[in-house]
Amino acid sequence: MISLRKIWTVAERDIRMFLRYKFLLIMRAIWFVSQIALFGLVVNRMFRPDVQTAVGGNYFNYYAAGIIITMLYSTSVFIGYDIYEEADHGVIEYLLSVPVSRKELVLGRSIGGGLRSFLYVGPMMLFVLYLIGVSSFLQLLVALLSLFLFTFGVAGFSITLAVSIKSSDRFDILMGVTDALIVRLSTTLYPIAFMQYYAGIASVNPLTFAADLFRWGAGIESTALTPPLLAVLGIVVFFSVFTFLGIFLHERRLEGGGWQ
Amino acid sequence: MAPIIRIENLTKKFENFIAVDHLNLEVGEGEILGLLGPNGAGKTTTLLMLTTVIKPTEGTALIGPYEVTREPDKARTLIGMAFQEPKLLWVDAPWDILNWHAKVCGLSVEERKKRVRWALEELELWNDRLKSVHTFSGGMRKRVEIAKILIQRPKIAIVDEPTAQIDIVGKHRIWNMLRDLRDEGSTILLATNELYEADVLSHRVAIMHKGKLLVCDEPKKLKDNIPGGDVIEIALERDVPNETFEKLKKIPRVVNALAIKQNQLKIYLNQAEEVLPRITEFFMKEQLPVRSIRMSEPSLDDVFAHYTGLTIEEAQRE
Repeated sequence: MISLRKIWTVAERDIRMFLRYKFLLIMRAIWFVSQIALFGLVVNRMFRPDVQTAVGGNYFNYYAAGIIITMLYSTSVFIGYDIYEEADHGVIEYLLSVPVSRKELVLGRSIGGGLRSFLYVGPMMLFVLYLIGVSSFLQLLVALLSLFLFTFGVAGFSITLAVSIKSSDRFDILMGVTDALIVRLSTTLYPIAFMQYYAGIASVNPLTFAADLFRWGAGIESTALTPPLLAVLGIVVFFSVFTFLGIFLHERRLEGGGWQ
Repeated sequence: MAPIIRIENLTKKFENFIAVDHLNLEVGEGEILGLLGPNGAGKTTTLLMLTTVIKPTEGTALIGPYEVTREPDKARTLIGMAFQEPKLLWVDAPWDILNWHAKVCGLSVEERKKRVRWALEELELWNDRLKSVHTFSGGMRKRVEIAKILIQRPKIAIVDEPTAQIDIVGKHRIWNMLRDLRDEGSTILLATNELYEADVLSHRVAIMHKGKLLVCDEPKKLKDNIPGGDVIEIALERDVPNETFEKLKKIPRVVNALAIKQNQLKIYLNQAEEVLPRITEFFMKEQLPVRSIRMSEPSLDDVFAHYTGLTIEEAQRE
């Protein structure tokens, strides 16, 4: 029987920890401002009208929504780095010894990792929604709920990789490469219609589901977007797979003493 | 005392290295059991298996009615552990660490605040409660680690070298707190390589070496049962030649002789008062001038030496 109280206790700890990484949070905020105020505005002027039409009439809005998803992704994966920090300080052994089941622990960490990302990106998300202008609050609500699940899934994905890879250096490099590939092979920055050979991969990328769902929620109308139902389903599958893997690996690898 | 922990053939292998080798042991409810052995004896690995942090390679253990391999979640509800190396995230403050620990163990807000404050005050950490543990000394971190168990008051408290890096006044305070914890109903499994700590705190002492349990009994019985129950420590003016030990063993009633330092040795014997003149005579004959002679009761170190042929210090170096 899973206890919601215990899941929340685990999640709450991760949220509290995140707020202590002040340098990281400030740097990510500066990155966001530069992507929107510099890159987004300049690139928007470069695009032909047909490109603008393909993305719902305004590439800047399309891009700004995508940047929010990359922010959600990059802050949710940070939980993996926490796991290495904790391994160095022996905190993993401690967490495995407290009266919390492995399911509660992984769910709590995924939710904590996702929620803290949502809390941090929240103000930026509101700013972008203000820029785009919201047309349907119901659509936005569906999108936001799905994005919650998306961040939990990304945190689960990061936990899974962190538990599978023994070296923090390797994890660091892998996350850098994964970030580059997963963002660029998605529709966070550009629509699928222009991706040619990579369109197949992009169409099943969880970042594509999240970005297109957020755009749909914000009221951007474009045939280039993934149908919302498919996007929601994709996110649910993504969340389920990586939460299950996280639990499985916690039980198999960590309890076997594999991190020692 | 009915057993609350039952360890059956518990074994842990890390590739080819056997950290714990078919361990069998029972711990009675309300008992303080000292797990004594040098570093690398397998004490910590045993404790980690009991707390379900790592899985045994073979065998199992029952924590209350729960088997650690089959019902680890339930087993953990009965256990609290204070680790050998403090498990604290460096960005956290003691107040947050202990408050979270109390919360995850299911204490109410009221009880949590009360117990956290009490433990921090008792362990003289109250004034530093909001500072990052990153700035703490080893002893202070260790006190935060011990505070977890004192706040949780689990049915089974597992403490791994609880007073390492702590000054003598602090050691006595922690020992008293552990006794109080036992008086309140906790069973305590204490892993230590400090002989005195095991002796003064434990009802029974289990001695481990190289992953194996050598013996388990009350400290007094362990000491009484050593053949050659008297101990003489002799310091010489110069180093002890190797052949001296064998020659000493040939003196009637001398059971064993071991080197402590280059010029110091310990002799285990029966009826020391009668044999002592013969021993001093022996050293005179061997032209080994004696600097000092001290007679003592056997200690747990002597028990360890009896079973392994090594002092704890030597075993540690091995």
